[in-house]
Amino acid sequence: MDECKLVILGFGAVGQGVARAISMKKEMIKDKFGVSLKIVAAGDSSTSAICQDGLDEELLLKTKEESGKLKNYPEYGSEISGIDILDAVDYDCLIEATPTNIVDAEPAKSLTLKAFADGKDVVTSNKGHLALFYKEIIEAKEKAGVDFKFEASVGGAMPIINLCQDTLASCGISSIKGILNGTTNYILSRMTTEGMTYENTLAESQQLGIAETDPTQDVEGIDAACKVVILANSVLGIDATYDDVEVRGISDVSLEAINLAKEEGYYVKLIGEVSKKQLKVSPRLVKKNSPFAIDGTLNLATVTTDLADDITVMGKGAGSLETASAMLTDLINIIRNK
Amino acid sequence: MRMNLILEILDVPGQLVSILSPIGELGANLVTIVHKREIKAEEGKVPVQITLEGERENLQAVTDKFKEMGVNLIEVDDTIKKEKLSTILYGHIIDTDLRDSVDKINAVDGLVVSDLQLKLDGELKSTALLTIELDVGKREIAYDKVMEIAKEKDFLVIDEV
Repeated sequence: MDECKLVILGFGAVGQGVARAISMKKEMIKDKFGVSLKIVAAGDSSTSAICQDGLDEELLLKTKEESGKLKNYPEYGSEISGIDILDAVDYDCLIEATPTNIVDAEPAKSLTLKAFADGKDVVTSNKGHLALFYKEIIEAKEKAGVDFKFEASVGGAMPIINLCQDTLASCGISSIKGILNGTTNYILSRMTTEGMTYENTLAESQQLGIAETDPTQDVEGIDAACKVVILANSVLGIDATYDDVEVRGISDVSLEAINLAKEEGYYVKLIGEVSKKQLKVSPRLVKKNSPFAIDGTLNLATVTTDLADDITVMGKGAGSLETASAMLTDLINIIRNK
Repeated sequence: MRMNLILEILDVPGQLVSILSPIGELGANLVTIVHKREIKAEEGKVPVQITLEGERENLQAVTDKFKEMGVNLIEVDDTIKKEKLSTILYGHIIDTDLRDSVDKINAVDGLVVSDLQLKLDGELKSTALLTIELDVGKREIAYDKVMEIAKEKDFLVIDEV
């Protein structure tokens, strides 16, 4: 393989991050792995830019930023959108970065299954289809004999799935416990250090763009629960879906609780726990001097193994380039194995 | 290497023999044993102080066996083997009979409520930080008990990782 043709679907923060990361790293990838990356199509929610000879990453970013729509890409802008893009161009790997949908997992599910059926590899940052239909998706991937990687779906830049599957291949893993949502960690950290109420801290986070206008997915633990499902399936081999997770968010965590905990040397953190015994997301007490006592939007996970004991990783759980880094690493791993 | 242990056993015939037999079987030697029958804990248990000699693995096997047999290890090499479990509860903690909640935990063998801090918010729900002192290996039992009470009395729980 000396060329890898890419389709990026979903051109929000993550999709744009991938374009930027490719622009920054394509020379390195060519030098090191002998493969030229070429974006042959990129699609946003309703339009696209398609060119079999390759699109310019910087121009894609500029077009999106200035006009809001990829159809305004000079010469190659198009009204073709969504799944139709996959039939409009010849490609090797789909970079799927559409927004997570935890109701029916669309459009990620259809896009992914279509790419598999066409014999294409897929790299995703999406959680919806993995949390709701993991088994079905993996079976389709096996049947098609293609590669499918989703490191970015859990913990953004923080390596966890590849860490467990590849780096810790010698170890049996009995549990993973972690802070899997940066927004809630930010809110709880601010409540702890500033003594602010939950409502005020949430409002502040929304102003800063850390929490979304509708913060339900984060604060009610839904986002973290999706990640718990993905880890349960991909790392511990537990056949679980979203409904198997016991979920409680942080909206009922009072300032009194946080202060009481603090006086006794504890912080309150939203912890996702994955083990054969339970799949759970809930506010928990962590000791002040433990690895879990991290502030801000960081993510963290402690993997408990049989041979290596505990391994803890920490990193940025969100962010455009950060999340893109995990997707580009997945892509490189696919290229390397060809 | 040597290991000093203090165990707690029931003061009934046959108990001492039952804890001694695994020692030789698992490849450790018994160096000394002091059976302090005059010091009796409230539940009728007596401490037994023993010193063992053997390879690390064998000694580990012996303590594992003790735990499996349900023998309480109070001290291992001067380290007190009592643990603490902290939990935050949020709800109508006083109105749902606080004394009853504490009694229910204390009634479980090996668990004692050692501290309870309350923050009251007028007539509204209150927040409590409950600390339970427990024998080694009883963490899950303590957790289950707290969850059972929380469910019955409709408390929200923030438990320790």
